[in-house]
Amino acid sequence: MIAPTILRHADERQKQEYLPALFRGELIACQLFSEPDAGSDLASIKTRAVRDGDRWQITGQKVWTSGAHLADVGEIICQTEPGPRHRNLTAFMVDMHAPGVTVRPLRQMTGGASFNEVFLDDVEVADTARIGAEGVGWRVALTTLSYERNAMGHSSFGGAGILSTDRLMQLIRHAGLANDPLVKRRFGELVTELRVVRYAQEVMAERMRAGQSPGPEIAINKLALSANMARLGDFVVSVLGPRAIADTGEWGTYAWTSVVLGAPGYRLGGGSDEVLKNRLAERVLGLPKPT
Amino acid sequence: MNAVRVRPDLAVSGEHKELRSMVRQLMADTSSSARLREVMETEDGFDRATWSTLAELGLLALLVPECYEGLGQGPVESSIIFEEMGRALYPGPYFASVALATNALLCSGDGAACSDLLPGIAAGSTIATVAIAEAVTPWGSPNTVCTVARPDRDVWILEGAKSFVPHGHVADLLLVTARTDAGLSLFAVESADAGVEARALTSLDLTRRLAAVTFAGARARLVGADGEAGPVVASTVDRALIALASEQAGGAARCLEMSVDYAKQREQFGKSIGSFQAIAHRCVEMLQRVEFARAASHYASACQATGAGELSVAARVAAAYCGRAYRWTAAENIQVHGGLGFTWEHDAHLHYRRSWASETLLGNADEHYLAVADRVGLGQEKGAA
Repeated sequence: MIAPTILRHADERQKQEYLPALFRGELIACQLFSEPDAGSDLASIKTRAVRDGDRWQITGQKVWTSGAHLADVGEIICQTEPGPRHRNLTAFMVDMHAPGVTVRPLRQMTGGASFNEVFLDDVEVADTARIGAEGVGWRVALTTLSYERNAMGHSSFGGAGILSTDRLMQLIRHAGLANDPLVKRRFGELVTELRVVRYAQEVMAERMRAGQSPGPEIAINKLALSANMARLGDFVVSVLGPRAIADTGEWGTYAWTSVVLGAPGYRLGGGSDEVLKNRLAERVLGLPKPT
Repeated sequence: MNAVRVRPDLAVSGEHKELRSMVRQLMADTSSSARLREVMETEDGFDRATWSTLAELGLLALLVPECYEGLGQGPVESSIIFEEMGRALYPGPYFASVALATNALLCSGDGAACSDLLPGIAAGSTIATVAIAEAVTPWGSPNTVCTVARPDRDVWILEGAKSFVPHGHVADLLLVTARTDAGLSLFAVESADAGVEARALTSLDLTRRLAAVTFAGARARLVGADGEAGPVVASTVDRALIALASEQAGGAARCLEMSVDYAKQREQFGKSIGSFQAIAHRCVEMLQRVEFARAASHYASACQATGAGELSVAARVAAAYCGRAYRWTAAENIQVHGGLGFTWEHDAHLHYRRSWASETLLGNADEHYLAVADRVGLGQEKGAA
């Protein structure tokens, strides 16, 4: 998400500074976008960066920042000028270990804590850490979001993870239901939905290889991810029955509840499904701005 | 899973784009809504002049190998044509002749039958179709076929009845499954034979009529080996399902376009209805299904072209997904259009009818889901990778 943003918007020196370390895994980056009062309406963020010569002072609060507690740097979007909406924002790379940065973990409904609140109190950032020109931060943010949705979409069809066909077949066989016609039909439907997303992403990847950059339609993949995570939860609970609501200690059963508990988060992360639909309606279908 | 993992080639070439725009233009010129409504009222249900144009342009010869006087193009090229025809609800026997009959002959592996029969199909002088289903037997269960064939000197004699035969009322050549002492077999029968009687059925889809065909001592030619038609039927149905999926993707794309155009132009409460999220989000959900349906049918046809290992799964994934996607978008399209969409004059119902008929013709989504589960290896003791 962040490396492709740097690749597209940063200058040569910044690319040298961040990209090799990011790709080697020596540097972990997070994305400081949402705020308590700017969620779906991201452009209304209030965190301010004030210029002082070749330095900037950043003050504000960010939220839902995945991995902030592990990150070394963060891509932050700040308000830098009074200008009109969408043209008053600027992007920076901020050192997450700098004085004035406080990271506080948030506990999710799953019980885990992978995202955080981040408080910035007069955090000093050099102008050389600015990504893109002043006032074009919205464009930088959209690039990151588009790659985020694409990356989320990539996890929506399986591979080796919880959505893999093999893992699901193991679960069904373990439950002794491989010959149950209802389970078989539901499994066939789930596999169909997962494969279609995989095929679609291979077709989109081929378009990108042919030189077309991913357009706003890429957000469809994120919608597919949230729908498929919900379908997966539905399916595994139907296979597990009561073993999904209480831990009997039997291996490979209750652990699947993390899917059920995690599913609502997918509909919200990376832009809520509803906000993405507004954007797709406007940008891809050319419908008037939704009211 | 497969010893050789061949990847499908998903590239879209300049030739593909030219082919698409050529067929789209042809459909606009010959199968406009007004023209479609004229021809669907005729006895044939399609326009023979347009059929000749398709033949002249080589579209009927596309899938036929060059050694049988065809153009030797592949499933990816033909899927482009099916998608465009699906958009336009093309009412002629293209699906019957190309997706069903041409594929059945090619799948039979019978070189002599291909040499004798494919050139006529490629030239458009022979309209061909496939008769597999019977009144109580769907396409997917060839083993319950009641039609029988017995040898009589150098020919075979067919007795029985087939139903749900696409364009069976206008076909010159029928490829028919029948049981012999050796098992399920495939036969070629000329509809001009005195023992053949074809009758168009009142069909839900006004733009693709189905027929009942009876065989009373009809003279037939065995295609492929006696008793070996089971796998031929299975691969013909898979290939036809991929073509059908492309048609469905095209039809769904057209429904989305109609909805979006109307949503931009229709005003209520002083605004265009497309600015209401209830309508806009519905259109986006249509968009998602259209994009995925197009990708799934493209992917499946590309698997067929390269013989990719994923083909058997991809064929049924595309069939299940595209069938549902088209039916869903066709229904939502009516909803977006309001009362107007429920009128006879509006084309929305033609797509709605086609979507139901197409989803049911060669097996429905439940059957495809079960096939997908089998084909990824659920029934096997140890899972396929």
